[in-house]
Amino acid sequence: MLEIKNISKSFYRNIALDDVSISIKKGEIFGLLGPNGAGKTTLIRIINRIVEPDKGSVRFEGNLMTSQNLSDIGYLPEERGLYKSMTVHNQALFLGRLRGFSKKDTLAKMDFWFDKFNVNNWRKKRIEELSKGMAQKVQFVCAVLHEPKLLILDEPFSGFDPINVELIKQELIEMRAAGKTIILSTHNMKSVEEICDRAVLIHESKKIAEGSISDLQSAKKIGMYAVRFKGSMIAFVNALWTGFEVIDKDILGDDRFIVRVKMRGENSFQDLLKVLIGQIEIEAAWEMMPSMQDVFIDLVQPKEEADEK
Amino acid sequence: MKNSLLISFREFKERIGARSFISLSILGPLFVLGMIYLMFTYGGNSKQHWNVLIADHGNLLESKIMPGTSNAVTYSFYNGVISEADFADGEKYQQFDALLEVNEKVLTNKIGFVFYREEPDLKMQTRVQYHLERRLEEILVERFKTISLNDYRKIKQPLTLRYANVYDPNEQSSDLAGWAGLFFGVLIFAFIFLFGMTILRSVAKEKSNRIVEVLLASVSPRQLMLGKIAGIGFSAFLQFLFWIAIIGAGLYFMRENIFPDMLDASNMNVQQLVIDSAEQTYQESHFAAREYNQFIELVFERIQFVNMIVFFLIFFVLGYLFYGALFAAIGATTGSESDGQQFVLPLIFLLCFAMYAGYYTLNYPESSLSTVFHYLPFTSPVVVMVKLSQGYGPGEGYQIYFSLIVLLMSSILMLVVAGRLYKNGILQFGHRVRLKHIFKWLRKN
Repeated sequence: MLEIKNISKSFYRNIALDDVSISIKKGEIFGLLGPNGAGKTTLIRIINRIVEPDKGSVRFEGNLMTSQNLSDIGYLPEERGLYKSMTVHNQALFLGRLRGFSKKDTLAKMDFWFDKFNVNNWRKKRIEELSKGMAQKVQFVCAVLHEPKLLILDEPFSGFDPINVELIKQELIEMRAAGKTIILSTHNMKSVEEICDRAVLIHESKKIAEGSISDLQSAKKIGMYAVRFKGSMIAFVNALWTGFEVIDKDILGDDRFIVRVKMRGENSFQDLLKVLIGQIEIEAAWEMMPSMQDVFIDLVQPKEEADEK
Repeated sequence: MKNSLLISFREFKERIGARSFISLSILGPLFVLGMIYLMFTYGGNSKQHWNVLIADHGNLLESKIMPGTSNAVTYSFYNGVISEADFADGEKYQQFDALLEVNEKVLTNKIGFVFYREEPDLKMQTRVQYHLERRLEEILVERFKTISLNDYRKIKQPLTLRYANVYDPNEQSSDLAGWAGLFFGVLIFAFIFLFGMTILRSVAKEKSNRIVEVLLASVSPRQLMLGKIAGIGFSAFLQFLFWIAIIGAGLYFMRENIFPDMLDASNMNVQQLVIDSAEQTYQESHFAAREYNQFIELVFERIQFVNMIVFFLIFFVLGYLFYGALFAAIGATTGSESDGQQFVLPLIFLLCFAMYAGYYTLNYPESSLSTVFHYLPFTSPVVVMVKLSQGYGPGEGYQIYFSLIVLLMSSILMLVVAGRLYKNGILQFGHRVRLKHIFKWLRKN
């Protein structure tokens, strides 16, 4: 769907992107991750043809991207704005037509989306009269109104209450099911885990990791397991020998716990289960995967620490 | 292209929907009409008396001019040549306030010269002009007895009197129509400044509320800038049309209802001017009753409205593009709206300088500096208006087209340069603009 090859971009002496290549498949939600100033926004602007790369190419559906493809892209920038004195109706109509939709088609789509997001009653209001959340909804509608094949969202959940965050998430999942491709740039790692299929991590202008969410997590797993059991906590601890380390525990009830254990040496999950069986009543046991937050910190922080040294 | 049109249509709609647009479209021309009315009514009520010596070397006027019993002007004739220096210092000439030089050429080139000791007010200037013009009409009609009155009116051209201070003859005070030209020029610059600031604010606002990023994902920066300049320009143009319509209708109303007996050559039978003294007395009294209307004559008779308005619109459009591009570039390169205000200051100086150039041309129309201002794109819209109303000499008509071409080329160049600044500056946020940035952005394509 979108092939970004060897993109480099500098602003005078500052390198914003250094030889970044990413491949995004049709019908996936793709996370674009990285600390502030990593170069994500520059990459998004290059995809949107707002800035030109110094080097490299962007291919859209197999062909070199041109301005003709812009009508197939929906874009919700992080620092988003609307014309404050314009009505919701006129704003959406203007932006829909700017993306190449006819007036008739734009109006039809406006009816659909405004209904879906409960904005219909606010159509005749000026943007400055809306609450921040309502304005955010309008912005989201304006980005998806022209039914783009590729939707680029930069921090789409910021400013939304939890209910609206869920609404947007569900919408993105539905769009993915309808074959749309979505690039999601966010610092909200929980939502990355929840809805992204794959992700790339950019740090200091370079790509440092790319893959499916589970692959990224697997690559950073640290051999930690969780055991949910019924019985005595003392019995649990006594059963373990020096090859295991208890990290922490959650108390579920009078004699029910979840305990997280880290392996030491050559010990495996099988060894853990062997020593515990007969001592406590195991209800469940599973391998703990690192959260995307942990993956993010793990990938970014060592480099920063090394840089500091 | 389509997107540029959408952008310009949005800008246009936003401007004409604003209350300020509607109020300025109506109150602005009403204010101008009010000023014109005041000038019509009170503009020339000075009681000053003028003693004018006419140096008529060829005895063209035959020692006659419009009725000699005018209270305001007393004419004396001298059928010889008087140099300006003699008139300035000669003892026998001290009783005269002004020297009016007339020779055979005035019948063809329609330009006469007046050297004054103390600058006369506009009313006095018009009065002398009127008297001489009517006398010349008599002479012309006598010489061309076969010509019909209608044909005569067709070929008739208004007389231009160049006023100069006798002690400083190089300082030529303009004829009245020149002031009208300056008015048109100043009007151009007032509109350019007003709508230029609208461009700047609009660009800065889009930048500060960050919608520019959404727009740039659909249109190129140049398309965005051109669309914006065009849209705001159309609204300015529309406002102009309102002004022209309202002022035109107002002048027509004044002519028909408030000042119906104004000095209008077409209402006068030229042959009746060559009549006996009793009739002359009637003409004079008739004139005296209406002579407070000299501004009316200026407005209705001397300004060639069609010509002026055509060139006015052309120079307005080009001047607007030239300065509009500059305003857009400033809006795009600044980090914030208040930052932009600082950069507007040099532009205001430039606009003031252009107006001064117009005033300078009014006073020194033949100076070489005026010629420079006439072609300089920063000043040409106002200077050309002044020159146009003063009248180009025979064979000098090409100058206006040359100035037009210079301004057109400069406007295109300015749009290219501003487009580059706009493109490179529009996505820079929260920075302090330095000249080095501007040079960098100019170098970068």
